[in-house]
Order: sequence, then C-alpha cells, then structure tokens
Amino acid sequence: MSGQSFLSTSGTEIAFVLVGIVALGAALLTVTTRQLVHAALWLVVALGALAVEYLLLTAEFVAWVQVLIYVGAVVVLLLFGLMLTRAPIGPSPDADSRHRPLAAAVAVAAAALLVTVVADAFRTTWITLRPGAGSAEANGIGLFRAWVLPFEALSVLLLAALVGAIVLSRRRAARPGVHEEADD
Amino acid sequence: MSATAVAAPAVHSLWTTAAAAPIHAPKIEYAQLSPILVVLGAAVAGILVEAFVPRRARYGTQLAVTLIGLAGAFAAVVGLAATGYATTKADLAAMGSIAVDGPSLFLQGTLILVTAVGVLAIAERGLEPQSREVPHVDAFAPQAAAVPGSEDEKAAARAGWSTTEVFPLTLFALSGMLVFPAAGDLLTLFIGLEILSLPLYLMCALARRRRLLSQESAVKYFLLGAFASAFFLFGTALLYGYAGTLDLGGIAKVVTGDAAPNAALNASAHGDALLLIGGAMIVMGLLFKVGAVPFHAWTPDVYQGAPTPITGFMAAATKVAAFGALLRLLYVALPEMRWDWRPVMWGVAILTMALGAIVAVTQTDVKRMLAYSSIAHAGFLLTGVIAGNKQGVSAVLFYLAAYSFVTLGAFAVVTLVRDAGGEATHLSRWDGLGRRSPLVAVTFALFLLAFAGIPLTSGFSGKFAVFSAAAKGGAVPLVVVGVLCSAVAAFFYVRVIVRMFFAEPRADGPSVAVPSALTGTAIAVGAAATLVLGVFPQWAFDLADKASVFIR
Repeated sequence: MSGQSFLSTSGTEIAFVLVGIVALGAALLTVTTRQLVHAALWLVVALGALAVEYLLLTAEFVAWVQVLIYVGAVVVLLLFGLMLTRAPIGPSPDADSRHRPLAAAVAVAAAALLVTVVADAFRTTWITLRPGAGSAEANGIGLFRAWVLPFEALSVLLLAALVGAIVLSRRRAARPGVHEEADD
Repeated sequence: MSATAVAAPAVHSLWTTAAAAPIHAPKIEYAQLSPILVVLGAAVAGILVEAFVPRRARYGTQLAVTLIGLAGAFAAVVGLAATGYATTKADLAAMGSIAVDGPSLFLQGTLILVTAVGVLAIAERGLEPQSREVPHVDAFAPQAAAVPGSEDEKAAARAGWSTTEVFPLTLFALSGMLVFPAAGDLLTLFIGLEILSLPLYLMCALARRRRLLSQESAVKYFLLGAFASAFFLFGTALLYGYAGTLDLGGIAKVVTGDAAPNAALNASAHGDALLLIGGAMIVMGLLFKVGAVPFHAWTPDVYQGAPTPITGFMAAATKVAAFGALLRLLYVALPEMRWDWRPVMWGVAILTMALGAIVAVTQTDVKRMLAYSSIAHAGFLLTGVIAGNKQGVSAVLFYLAAYSFVTLGAFAVVTLVRDAGGEATHLSRWDGLGRRSPLVAVTFALFLLAFAGIPLTSGFSGKFAVFSAAAKGGAVPLVVVGVLCSAVAAFFYVRVIVRMFFAEPRADGPSVAVPSALTGTAIAVGAAATLVLGVFPQWAFDLADKASVFIR
C-alpha cells in the first residue's frame, strides 16, 4: 500500500517465486516418479522449499519446525518404512493404480479452487512483513498464553495416540494355560 | 500497513503479540473446566492402571476408575449448572478457548451419562462363550496385533487376555467430546474433533469376532475421517484469513461489521469467497461427523464392523458432541450468514432424511439398519438446527438426550442375540424372537418404536420438538418432508417388530444370552429414559429450554 508496486520487485520476492517453483516442481516429481525412494527424496526437496518460503515470510520458527518435523522426522520415518517393508529399490511400475486420472483431476480441481479463493480475496493487496513477527518468542507467547488450552489438549491427543498404537501393535508370545502371567 | 497488526486489540491472534512484551501467565479457570479435567484425570489414571496393576485385577480397577471418574465429572457439571454457570455466570474460560454456558453444560452432562451407560455395555464379559480356564470373555480382541485367524490369536484367546485399554480410550474420546461442543474458537474445535475421533478409530478395530470386517471399518473410518479433518482445517485457515481471528464470537463480529475484517483483504471484495468457502469447508467437516448425506458413506460400514458396544457408544455420543459443535458454529460464529447456510442445510437435511429412511428399508442386517436409521435421525436433527431460533436449540438439545439413550439401549440389545458365530445380526435370524424371549423382544420393540417416533416414547417428544421449532422458524416444507420420511422410517422399524412377534421361530435360530448386571443396567437405563422422556418430557424440555442460550 505504501507506494509498493508489483513492477519493482525486491530480491526477496524474486527468491520467493523461484523457491515456489522449486517446491511445485519437486511436488510434481514426488507424485509422478516411479521409484518410491526417489519420491521420498523429492518430498524432502518440496518440504524443504516450503521451509524456505516460511523463512522468506519472516515465519522463522515455523520454518525450523518444518525442517525438524517434516524434513527430519516424517521423511526419515517414510524412508525407514520403505526399507523395513522391503519395498523395491528401483522402478516399481505396479505402484500406479488406474485411478491416476481421477486423482489428478481431484488434485487439479482442489488446487484451482484454493488458488482462486485466495487470489480473489487478496487480489493486489500489498502486505508489508514485519521482522520478528514469526520469531520463536512471539510464537511462544501466543502458544502459552492465548492458546494454552489447545496446546495442552494436543498433548492429550498424542497420549491417546500412543496408547492406541501400543494396543494395536504390541505382540507378546502367548503361553497357553498361563493366563495370569506377570506384567511384562 | 502491517498485515500482522490488523486484528482488533481485544481479539487475540496467533501472531500479533508484541515481541518485547513480558510473558503474563494465562488465566485458567480450573473450576469451570473441571468436568473435562476430571475425565482426563481418570483417563490418565487408567493408563497407570494398565502399567502397574497386575493383569488379574485390571478389569475391576479400570471399571471402578472409569465409573468414579464419570461420576465425579457429572457432579462437576451439576455443580457448575447449580451455581449459575449455565445462565447468569456463563462465560468463556481458559483464555476464550472453552465456552462454559447452557448448551455446553447440558451437552456435557448428557455426554457423561451416555458414556457411563456405554461403559457398562463395554464392560460386559458374560455374553461370549466361556470355558473353565477363561471364565470372562469380553467383546474385544484379546490381542489386536495378532493376525485374524492365526495361531497367535487363538493362543492369546486361550490365555484369557483382554484389551482393558478400551476404558482409558473411551475416556479420552469422551474428553474430546466434552471439549467439542464447548469450544470457543476454531482451533480448540479442531483439536476437540481430533481427540474424540482418534480413540474411536482405534476402538473400531478391536472386535473379537469378525476381525477383518472390524479392521476394515477402522481403516475406512480413519481415512475418511482424516479427509474430513483436512477439510475442516482448511476451512479454519480460510476463515482466519477472512476474519483475522479464530474466536467464534470474533468471527461473528467481523461478519456483522462490528469489527474490521483482516485489513489485508481487498477492500472491494471483502473476502466473501473466503468466508463462504471457509465456512462451507468447516461445516462439511462437522456434517461428516454427524453422518449427514453427502458425507454419510462411512456410517453403515463402521457401525457394522465396530464391536457392538463401541458402536452404541459412538453412535450416541459422537452425534451429541458433533451436533453441539454444529449448533455452536452456526449460532455463534455464523448467525448473520444464515441466509447463505440455510438453503444449503435445507438440501442436506432433506437428502439425509430421505436417503437414510429409504435405504434403511432395503437393509438385511440389524446393525446396518440402525446405521441408516441414525442417518435419518441426523436429518431430523438438522431440521431443528435449521430452525434458527432459541426453540430450535432447545429442541435439538432435547432430541440429542432422548435419541442417545434409545441408541445405546438398541445396540445393547443387539449384543444379546447370538449364535455360534457371535452376534446374529442378520434380520432373518430375528424371526420369532418374541416367542422365544419376550422380554428382550419387547425391549427392542420399545426402542424401535422410539426411533419411529410413536407417542409415549422419547422419540415422539423429540421429533415433535424439532419439527415444531422448524415450523416456527419458517421451514414448513422441511417439516412436511420430515414427517413423510418418518412415515417411511416407521415402515422398517415396524417390519422388524412384525418379524420378532409374528414370524415362525427358526429351528436353528439364535439364542438370547442372559446378560450380567452390567448390560442389564445399560438396557434398563435406556428403556427407562425412553419411557420417562416420552411420558413426562416437560421437565427435560424446561431444562433444555433454560440451557439454550449460547455465550459469545
């Protein structure tokens, strides 16, 4: 609003667009590659590029959380899952189902809807970023003051998920006849 | 102008707090949150019981911890209501995250009672065939990780293991349900939704019999539920983009123009697309949970596959919690948008009532029939939501209380009718049940008549309340459709009654297990609530009426 123009781009904006293109391309490769491990690695690029976008929007805390949790934990879990289930390393042509066109149509429609809505709502508005607005301190104050109850409730959710995962997956060798065995 | 300094000062926002300000401790009203906290405490105690109490004593300890926790939570709700938190002292607690008001307390009280009755059915151990070595067998898989039909599974069953973790999981689900209709902002609403859903997904997978069906139902419920959650979350993001706040009351203020919308929005467009599509996505997420028609596909499969006591608990309690949240969202955050949401909800309600009633006619499985019946009832409840007046709120509150006890009772009766393969849920197996065990058949007939909405049952009072509220709110055509659908629905309820009492019993027909005091109490409470709310509904109407004002 303050005399900014879409024609006089700054370095940050150019970087933002370029990183966005990288994220989009990596995401496309993730879903089109025929090699599962490659898909996981392209996912790293896509999620990492997203983290850079957050950083460029001054949301530094969210950016590092994105790196730690998505790039670090989720993708590593994914790779471990692939290795432990002995998924084939190399092309796996049977990974494509015949629902591919349908899935593509749904993805394109969803993307079109969201892009239209957001672009229509904000149109040419210029948003000036304030450094520090996304810092760990600002986030911490928000989380532990205004949002303390949802934050604590999330820990309850994690506890319930943990108990559920144990219930569903723990196996003990049953010894017939010994039905009052000591706890393990 | 900075995009981050746009929220009104009174409205807290995720990113607006000044970085240099010292951190003030948040203000938490523990007393007003006590129903939720007591239930969570009992759930955590249940986990500690799993860890430290010897296997032999676990079942009894878990049941005691659960019931004591529920009693404590109910006492807390009654205490809060008695000291005026439902009416004069109604307020937002925990930094605006939880609304302690009439509808919250009414629904929380209902949910706790429903869970208490549901836990009695869940705790039943006398229905499955037993042996001398394994004297107590419940409805849950002895070892969920064992491959169905494998040697492991048989060994675990012989060893007499049981999954007593269902008690804390039920309490976790309940805690989410207590948060859900009381949420004061969209973030808390979403987290409540997740806390109530996750334990239910898990418990659906734990059936002792027909385990593949049970696991399939859990995966279906989980995937479709995750899809609905994604819609809900995206809707939340869009509404935040529109209003610059997540508070339900704050959003309402922006909609009415009392507060400025997100100033980064284009001034000419006012971001109506954000508001409409965001609101629609959130409502879609909630309609999925109540099982309304385009989002009902999971209901029959999950109701059929889940262990029957869990189905009863889920069918009753989820509906109460989700309709409470739907009411709060539509009446607190989007009341000024009702000219936009009412036509859509009309369509959803008509489709839900019609499809639920018509497809139920073709069902041959009791659990699937009750699932479609629950879809039809979601439609009846939606007519009360559409009413858009205070009477509509109180009618929906009453209907939820009445319907949930009928559902619990009906599913508890389904657990009793058994043959060698477990529960005999095929309708043809119920032929002539009335001659073999009149008491069970008469009780089930009572629940079916209540579902159908026959006078002197709670179903009639509930339907009368929602339909008259909808008629008063100007939705007369909807009421006509509702009455027609009730007539169609009555057809298949009465058909089951005819089968039970007038068909010849089969030689190889199922036997009716004699329940222990637990399931017996659950069915008796369900039947008593059905009759009392049908014959003397006035006190409950008064209570619901007093409790029908939302706090902003």
